[in-house]
Amino acid sequence: MTNAARPSPIAWLIAPAGLLFVLFFVLPFAVMTAMSFYSGNPVTNPNAFLTTRHYERFIFDTAGIFHEALWSTLRIGLITTVISLLIGYPLAHWMARMQSRLGHALVLMAVIAPMLTGIVVRTFAWMTILQDKGVINTTLMQWGLIEKPLPLMYNEFGTIVALVHIYVPFMVLTLTGVIGRIDERLEQAARSLGAGRLRAFVEVTLPLSLPGILAGSLLVFALSISAYVTPSLMGGTDVLTLPMLIAQQVGTSFNPNFAGALGVILLLVSLAIVVAYNRILARLAGGQGMA
Amino acid sequence: MISRRKALRTGAGLAALATVGAPSILHAQTKTLKITTWGGKWGEVMKATVLPAFEKEFKCTVSADQAFPFLPKLQVSSKNDPIYDVLHTNSNEQWNAVVEGLVMNKITAKEVPNIADVYPYAVSDKIVGVTIFTSAIGLGFRTDKGLTKPTSWKDLADPKLAGARGGYLIPVNSLGQAHLMMLGKVYGKGLTDLDAAYKALEALKPIKLVDFTGQMEKMLLSAEVSMGVIHDSGVYRYEGANMQPVDFASPSEGVLALEQVLNVTPGSKVKELAFAYIDYMLRPDVQKMLAEAVWYSPANQKVKLEAKYDAKLLTTPEKVATLIQPDWKWYNARREDIDARVTKILKG
Repeated sequence: MTNAARPSPIAWLIAPAGLLFVLFFVLPFAVMTAMSFYSGNPVTNPNAFLTTRHYERFIFDTAGIFHEALWSTLRIGLITTVISLLIGYPLAHWMARMQSRLGHALVLMAVIAPMLTGIVVRTFAWMTILQDKGVINTTLMQWGLIEKPLPLMYNEFGTIVALVHIYVPFMVLTLTGVIGRIDERLEQAARSLGAGRLRAFVEVTLPLSLPGILAGSLLVFALSISAYVTPSLMGGTDVLTLPMLIAQQVGTSFNPNFAGALGVILLLVSLAIVVAYNRILARLAGGQGMA
Repeated sequence: MISRRKALRTGAGLAALATVGAPSILHAQTKTLKITTWGGKWGEVMKATVLPAFEKEFKCTVSADQAFPFLPKLQVSSKNDPIYDVLHTNSNEQWNAVVEGLVMNKITAKEVPNIADVYPYAVSDKIVGVTIFTSAIGLGFRTDKGLTKPTSWKDLADPKLAGARGGYLIPVNSLGQAHLMMLGKVYGKGLTDLDAAYKALEALKPIKLVDFTGQMEKMLLSAEVSMGVIHDSGVYRYEGANMQPVDFASPSEGVLALEQVLNVTPGSKVKELAFAYIDYMLRPDVQKMLAEAVWYSPANQKVKLEAKYDAKLLTTPEKVATLIQPDWKWYNARREDIDARVTKILKG
């Protein structure tokens, strides 16, 4: 056997990750996709037959809720991503350029600390702050500034506030690494050639940090559109997302086939958005593709 | 020709293989009963007292799953070797399970002798399996908000309660589904009058909706809602040192039954043990212990509760007569349409 025919050491190192990806993503996704084209569970129900009715049910949406749920899911995901980016970018830039190691470590701890508590706990914390009898409304009413509670919860606003709080650390950590690797001298060179602070940032630092923006945005978007606990607890009657519908179909309507179809649809629509986003950013950066 | 030593070696090897291949042989004396059960206080009492006593008496081990929802897991397991032997859920899920052939249609006193002593509602035509306890779904309310104790389901529609009344996300909660049917009875021709129910639901807006009863308890305790649909045990448990300014009201039109139902899976390999478990759960002493721990009304008529429980729970034929059992078979058959309609009504 020649050396060329042997797998390289890198391949062996990648193999466990590849195996995990196949076992815990490719295989379950394939099963879910297959289930979405059956009337029932073909393993336990011999009468289950192939059908496209679950997709037809979504496409024709005679119930009048599925398209709205998809749009609501994407809208919440997009808004959460944009706000996380707006909050996260300055923080990440500050962290990446920080000279003090102690200062960097302290800010890093502050960013990571919320991630040490579970999503359910953080969501319940937001509920105690934003609900009608919560900290904000009670304080404002006691001060006589408002008569009725402000609608801070049981709607999309409350859901997005909680999601942004939960996912900003993901954006910051992703961006910090990328911005930290940008050579500061490039920005200094631009300034020495007459560019102002803002122009140097917009024309040098920002384009070079686009890979970080892309990675952070995709991470936050993916997490936001698949969020279940936070929209369920914070959304009240106003918010219905596809993950909520999927959980409903599996857990209480006992229709895993339609849930599978909803999962496939969510993934396909999200992929389309991700590809479009990638192309737009690549065009802005003047490159080909970024991810 | 095979030598004696070779034959012995081969025989020993085959015996070892058979033992490894069939571990059940090694554990033939200890059967395992796979059940579903609730968490919280109920789960604590089950794990600490009820299940160990059952295991000792029936020389078995019990594997109890508390990770809800149970039915999707049963759906994907083999019907010939189901993941559970006994399914414990509320009544509407049992109806979903029986339609798919995942649980038995009926259980009789022949298989479970203590069924002879249960109230008729526990084995009525609205039940598949057998009810071991029930709660009453009525109205929970704050006693510190100047509200008079509600006497009718219509009291929840009081304009003063706008934004301070609580209900459930109907597609995911059986209390919400039962309440919807009750609206049909109170405002229309009966539990199946959906048009009247939808209209009455619309009139309840603005309403705060939650997806499980624990969250409704939290909303009542934090005064986020002043009145809400809830089961009696979700209010009565806040008594004594744990006293809170909340109380439970049974509306005059009747209370809805929230049954705790046990059923056996047809493919169970330990069916006799499964029936023995249900019989055990219906024993008066076990019923009393659990009823007083979590404020559930026992299904066995022979149970004698302490006075404070007896005063509030459904322990006499007269009190039991106030229970209304929804027709879950009827509801589940229309579920998709109902879910879509109520989602549209309550959104926005």
